[in-house]
Amino acid sequence: MSGVGLLSFANPRGVVALAAVAVLVLLYLYDRRRRTIPVGTLFLWQQIPSPARERQRFRPEPLFWLQLLALTALIVALLRPVLEGAAPPPTGAPLVLVLDVSASMQAAESTGSRFAEARRRAAARIAALDPADDVLVITAGTRPTVALRWTNDRAVLRAALEGLSPDDTPTDLAPALELARGLAGERPGTRIAVFTDLAPEASGLDPAARARFDYVQIGRSDDNLAIAAVTVSAPPFHGPTDTTVTVDVRNYGRTTREVVLDARVGGAPWARRGLTIAPRATEHVLLTRPPASGVLQLDLASDDALAVDDHATAWIGPGAPLDLLLVTDSRELADTFGEIAAAIAGSRVEVMSRERFESAPPAGRRVALLDGFVPATVPLATNALYVAPPAGNAVCPSRGRREDAVVVDWDADHPALAGLGALQALSVTGASELDATEWGAPIVLAAAARSAFPLLIAGERNGRRTACLGAELGGPLASSDRVPLLLLTLATVRWLAEPFGPSALVVETGRPVLAGAGPTTPITGTGIEIVGEPPVVTAARAGIARLGPPGGERMVLANLFDDRESDIGRNDDGEWPATIQDAPVSPARRGRPLTLWVVAAALALLVVEWAAWRRTQVRR
Amino acid sequence: MSRAADGPPESPAPAAPGAVGGALAIEARTALGIDDLHRFDGLALHVRRGMGERPGERRFPGRAQASGVEVESYSAYTPGDDLRHLDWNAVGRLDTLVIRRFTAEREVLFHLLLDVSASMDAPPADGKLASARALTLALAYIGLAASDAVRVTCLGDTTTTSPVYRQRRSALAVARLLAGTEVGGRLALGAALEDYARRHGESGAAFVVSDFMTDPAEVERGVLALQARRFEVHLLHLIGASELDPAGSFTRGVLVDVETGALHPMTLTTAVAARYREVLEQHLAALRAVAERTRCSYSRYVAGSDLAAFVAGDLAAHGMVRRR
Repeated sequence: MSGVGLLSFANPRGVVALAAVAVLVLLYLYDRRRRTIPVGTLFLWQQIPSPARERQRFRPEPLFWLQLLALTALIVALLRPVLEGAAPPPTGAPLVLVLDVSASMQAAESTGSRFAEARRRAAARIAALDPADDVLVITAGTRPTVALRWTNDRAVLRAALEGLSPDDTPTDLAPALELARGLAGERPGTRIAVFTDLAPEASGLDPAARARFDYVQIGRSDDNLAIAAVTVSAPPFHGPTDTTVTVDVRNYGRTTREVVLDARVGGAPWARRGLTIAPRATEHVLLTRPPASGVLQLDLASDDALAVDDHATAWIGPGAPLDLLLVTDSRELADTFGEIAAAIAGSRVEVMSRERFESAPPAGRRVALLDGFVPATVPLATNALYVAPPAGNAVCPSRGRREDAVVVDWDADHPALAGLGALQALSVTGASELDATEWGAPIVLAAAARSAFPLLIAGERNGRRTACLGAELGGPLASSDRVPLLLLTLATVRWLAEPFGPSALVVETGRPVLAGAGPTTPITGTGIEIVGEPPVVTAARAGIARLGPPGGERMVLANLFDDRESDIGRNDDGEWPATIQDAPVSPARRGRPLTLWVVAAALALLVVEWAAWRRTQVRR
Repeated sequence: MSRAADGPPESPAPAAPGAVGGALAIEARTALGIDDLHRFDGLALHVRRGMGERPGERRFPGRAQASGVEVESYSAYTPGDDLRHLDWNAVGRLDTLVIRRFTAEREVLFHLLLDVSASMDAPPADGKLASARALTLALAYIGLAASDAVRVTCLGDTTTTSPVYRQRRSALAVARLLAGTEVGGRLALGAALEDYARRHGESGAAFVVSDFMTDPAEVERGVLALQARRFEVHLLHLIGASELDPAGSFTRGVLVDVETGALHPMTLTTAVAARYREVLEQHLAALRAVAERTRCSYSRYVAGSDLAAFVAGDLAAHGMVRRR
């Protein structure tokens, strides 16, 4: 039961009837023929102050005040007021705290970081509660997390708040607010306080839903420079010195900034560029001829408000030369690959007949091109490309041979086809019509008379990378007509060889990515989570982490490339208290009911209002 | 698959665009009937740069290549050159192996980027969205009818990207895509164009259809990102009648920003209307300045006005469209 002094209310839920006051005001405003006009944007109109604010001011007539009094009396009657013999005990309400822990909360303001300010205000909010009131804490990053279940132990609460820190991830506030509403529903009367640097309009909830939250927006500074994107382009079978890197550096502030971009590869200096970036502009920096392969570390020497996006990492692969086991009985094909090996420095092509391969397959980590046949067994460490597989085999099922097929479609995003841009010119005189497989996906489609079929299938089979190419490699591959087929074959071989060299998994913070084959146990670095089957990697912290046992480890390079997080500038901060609140459940208490008296007062006011209205009618 | 073709080469010949069911529903949402598309026959999208990788019918002088139709230049023979292109007359006269080089003939991929954020449907009476859909469909049809490749992308709360279309009959698929796209949400145009440029490495010509009701610096940011990826950029500005002259739509009320929900009370007096025209002119001048700075073309289309006249008149005058 809630009350003020000696007056309490037996039906506090009736407070929702106060909405009728808003209805009355709305009806009054409607009567003044006010209306809303949707416009695409306000940024033009906001440069024009309305000249008629005086006339729009709310100045109701006396009749309105009488109607309001009568309505208020009826609402009070609905609350069933009771006159108590003694003052009621102090009451409070449970509280759900929602703290934004996204990267932008690390931004520095004049009073410290945004997150420190949010934590300070949350602690003040807890201090204002009744000691018996329970509190629940939710953090909002890319997904919501209950950081602390319901408790009224203030020491535990303080420790929990001190233990929280912002991640390096983007924000998704709406799910956290929905979770808070769901958990608050367990305890009627619970208030929900949200501490974030997002404007209420950017919270993902409509205004009606937001009205249930005490919304606190923190932060104003827009002083931020960021590495917004990094693109690494590496030609196949070339050394790392032919790799190029494009770095997008963006100024999110409203003043021109000068900054130095420093690039290091494997700890060794590579390049250092001074940049002058106009407000809200992006500089695209091209870096060429890296000194070595390895982890590329990019740093902006900046003293801006948000440090996490001033650093980025990427991977420059070693670019291993061609190393191929060619299993074929075709002398011509062997000669062709011999010429290719001679043309690419450091390459090696070992040719072997089918019969010899089937009797004694070589061991070791190799990429094998199996021309026109599918052996019963392939060594465990061999990643195989089956070319023109015969009908009836179990690995690359095919429905026979087709003549004069042309490529009609391909998955340009598949890493095996990275850098290929001329597949539309590929026509094959003879091809095996492959069937779909469970282990792989068709990444190149061809069409012949009246049907389309997979020409190249790639995937993982029994833990090894495997590919099936329907095209036959007979004839002079180096002729201009067949160069696209040769390039497709070499690109597939390169993809098959990838797991044998050092590599790194490059991810964006907060975005789940398939881990692929290899070790999945973090050994160094923080903020890496790997769950599920197949394993999925999610990074909460930007930087470098290592997975797996020593010796067989691989790196995870996590970056924050999120425009919304880096664009930290806000027009305003402030607090928006909840305008809709569930009333707490309170036990009935004895006292002298006043409902009838209040109803009588309401009726009397209605009579007075009716009389006043009659008088105005008579005058007119 | 990111580059879906229109189908196997032996697929049946294209049907007449008007003979397809569902056309009425599409027409209702695009303000352009499928039959009306024939008005744009004989036109082609003009491009100065944006040469693609795939062989096509567009000629790009100055980019000589090893094979083709039109001889552009000669070069000394080097091992690996196609012997069919040796100029035997020159060999006879000069006793030197000379190879013919040909004018590059490539396909141009036209990226039609349509803004479908909530502002494109405000106020609804202006019909900006229907006009934008009609303009996009007309451009797609012109491109497809001229044997160019077209990809349509709707930029909104969620980005919808079509496959690459290459056949005239695919205009119906484009119309269905446009008619099926729901308007809504908030769009940061600069970031969206940057993201598009990052995800689509194949160069070409990009037509950005939007009301550009945003900070011109955002537009410039997006244009520069597209140009960094070697796109030739054209800005097509959709503007509603009530945006040009708000006096016809209200005199007093509360303006609501459909994307942010922000409110702004306003009474439209003569002085306010004059000031609004001034502010709008400044905004339009800023957009034109962005186009001049970035050397991209810019054209403005008032929603609901004659589309055929705009395409064959304004766009042709700005060099975006030409007669075949």
